[in-house]
Amino acid sequence: MELRELFTAEAVKLELEADSKDAILKELIELLGLDEKSDTILFKTLKRRENLGSTGIGKGIAIPHCRSLVVNKLCLAYGRKPGGMDFNAIDDAPVQHFFLIVAPPLEVSNQYLPVLGKIAQFAKDPDIPGRLEEISQPEEFLDLLREKAPR
Amino acid sequence: MTATSRMHPQLVLLLELQDLRSQHRELGEEEGAGEVERAHFHIDLEKARSELEDKIQELEASLNPVVRKRYQRVLPNRDRVVVPVINGVCYGCFVSIPTATVGDEGAHQELQGCENCGRFIYILS
Repeated sequence: MELRELFTAEAVKLELEADSKDAILKELIELLGLDEKSDTILFKTLKRRENLGSTGIGKGIAIPHCRSLVVNKLCLAYGRKPGGMDFNAIDDAPVQHFFLIVAPPLEVSNQYLPVLGKIAQFAKDPDIPGRLEEISQPEEFLDLLREKAPR
Repeated sequence: MTATSRMHPQLVLLLELQDLRSQHRELGEEEGAGEVERAHFHIDLEKARSELEDKIQELEASLNPVVRKRYQRVLPNRDRVVVPVINGVCYGCFVSIPTATVGDEGAHQELQGCENCGRFIYILS
């Protein structure tokens, strides 16, 4: 399955407002449209994953990810923080682009790891950070995935 | 307010525990998630698994004694102690759960288990 098919425009936010690591995670989780209690459990699981080591992979990109019982299918969201913020990324640079991936513990189609790998590969394309900066509508993000994401 | 907003506090703990156990198991996969975490995110897998073990023990200790006893009874025989119920089916043993259990809006206000496999269940719509 192509990455484009796993994102929806509703799960794309081009002006993240939060200005701390925790608040960014919460804002990204909100994009998934879960209920309040699921949001809380998911935040704790993502936070624990971040405590093991930042998911900021450098060049302004972070990929918070986890498996959680509170979702019944693979859920993805993208958020952009204009100007970037400290996310303890491996290159210590501010992070502007956040890709959230949450998968259930069991998946029939086992997409979680391939999707995680595809997003990491997509994000490492030297053109991508600049192209993400230029986006003005969520649909343009989906178009960029269609054009550049690995298949 | 949704059904899950009124979730039993012990069920919340059990869900957190199960998510931690999933993380811990995956970090032990040399050619799966563990390799991805090491290659893309530079995670020290041994250290990470040790930290998760500590957190798992801490959460297990915070379960109330009755729930902890049941949890410990199920754990040795099952890789997952809490499983989702989707479309009326237990995703631990894949046996149908009675409609009266999964259909109740307040299902998460009390701890429920699968009558077939004994796992705690969490109903996902």
